[in-house]
Amino acid sequence: MTNEWVPLALGKDVPAETTRAVIVEDRELVIWRGADGQAHVWTDRCPHRGMRLSLGFVRDNALNCLYHGWSYAGGGACQRIPAHPDLNVPASIRAGVHAAAEAGGMIWSRSGDQEAALPELPDGTPVCSLMIDADHATILAVAAPEIRLTGVQLFSLRHAGADIHIGWHKVQAGKTMLHAVAEGGTAEAALLLLRDLRTKAEGRAAA
Amino acid sequence: MTATEDRVALDQWYALGAMQDFRAGEEAVTRLLGEDVRIRCSTGGDIAVTAGTRKLPIRTDYGHLWTSLGSPARPVFDLPESREPDRRAVHCGPVRVRASGLRLIENFLDLAHFPYVHSDILGTEERPEVARYEVEQRRDVDELWATKCEFFQPKAAAAAAGGQISKYMYRVVTPFNVMLYKTAPTASDRWDVIALFVQPLEPALSIAHPFMLVIDDTSTDAELIGFQQMIFLQDKIVLENQRPLLLPLQPGRETPTRADLSSVLYRRWLKEKQWRFGVEEPTAIA
Repeated sequence: MTNEWVPLALGKDVPAETTRAVIVEDRELVIWRGADGQAHVWTDRCPHRGMRLSLGFVRDNALNCLYHGWSYAGGGACQRIPAHPDLNVPASIRAGVHAAAEAGGMIWSRSGDQEAALPELPDGTPVCSLMIDADHATILAVAAPEIRLTGVQLFSLRHAGADIHIGWHKVQAGKTMLHAVAEGGTAEAALLLLRDLRTKAEGRAAA
Repeated sequence: MTATEDRVALDQWYALGAMQDFRAGEEAVTRLLGEDVRIRCSTGGDIAVTAGTRKLPIRTDYGHLWTSLGSPARPVFDLPESREPDRRAVHCGPVRVRASGLRLIENFLDLAHFPYVHSDILGTEERPEVARYEVEQRRDVDELWATKCEFFQPKAAAAAAGGQISKYMYRVVTPFNVMLYKTAPTASDRWDVIALFVQPLEPALSIAHPFMLVIDDTSTDAELIGFQQMIFLQDKIVLENQRPLLLPLQPGRETPTRADLSSVLYRRWLKEKQWRFGVEEPTAIA
């Protein structure tokens, strides 16, 4: 990931006290949301034994590893090692925390350490996330000329009286995940548009 | 994947499965250390194991078929409990796992995961503490031992009626073969033996051949097998989701605590042997 904000999921797909695994440019990340509603984006790996934290469980505002129950607070610090209940956990034991924010119905992350502005988006109706077997350039090309580029990893399409805002992240070479939010119109119409986009993009990518 | 050049790994005995699984007149192809291995069982019951045109040595200790791609300096390790007439031998495998076999052994040595991976069976979240235990490298026999291990278990075995403090000992005889000795639920003065023989197919792909020598005249074989398979399948979920799938040996890559003394000793032993198969390449530091 770059210094820019990258959309990784729709906020509605990570309800409170759940986790969601995402792959971004071949890297495994976990998104999780505490009982307080705060969304977090971390490296999907417990520093103890390398277990993917996305298989873990959220209780209150902490993410717990499935393997040994090591418990991490929202800031990433390990606060409890159940095998040693009396241990004052060293501050050096931390999960890999990435910057996280929510805007326009999407959860965003960035890996750079410079400040960057979040895209400004109206609060629309979340539609869905959709995996497409094509790179983003192919998707943008088949969406042209209706497309309006509205952010580094964001574009909008006007369709059936609605504005569909689509954030995207690269999963790996030739695989892109779209996250769509509709402003006006119906979810069904937006879904049809996305499926059409997928069919065209995958057709061109395969050609 | 091609054959390994890890001489230490090649010069070991590996279990290919339980003898009962190789039937007269049948042929099977499996993998070992990145090579195809062919097992032929004649109609008369004679077994031959080959890799390409090479005929490999075989052993049939403890009801398993063992082979080696190299020249083992020692026979298959001794398992004295196999000669005790009142023990039942029960085969609970095979279980295929997409992970380094070294990770399988390390998981087998681990007590701290019981309350989370085997919740309300081998452990409970109410009592997750791992009490101090002892580890020892027995240099005369080149084995690792962990002793005086204790853990509270809601249902320690198929025949367990209720919760108990189970006592454990672990014995690592080769990097891919380990035994655990555990309080027998029906004979308090003796130990059940649960062995894990790991067949490394590729660096990050393994077959576990769990094997029990138990003192239990109440459970049926099906009950014992069902219990162990449930446990191994729960472990498989963890093992296939550890990153990396290979075992890291360089310091700082993972974070051991006091409960991981067995693992610390196991990893030190592997380094001492200059073991490479199933180990993360040191250059792969993220």
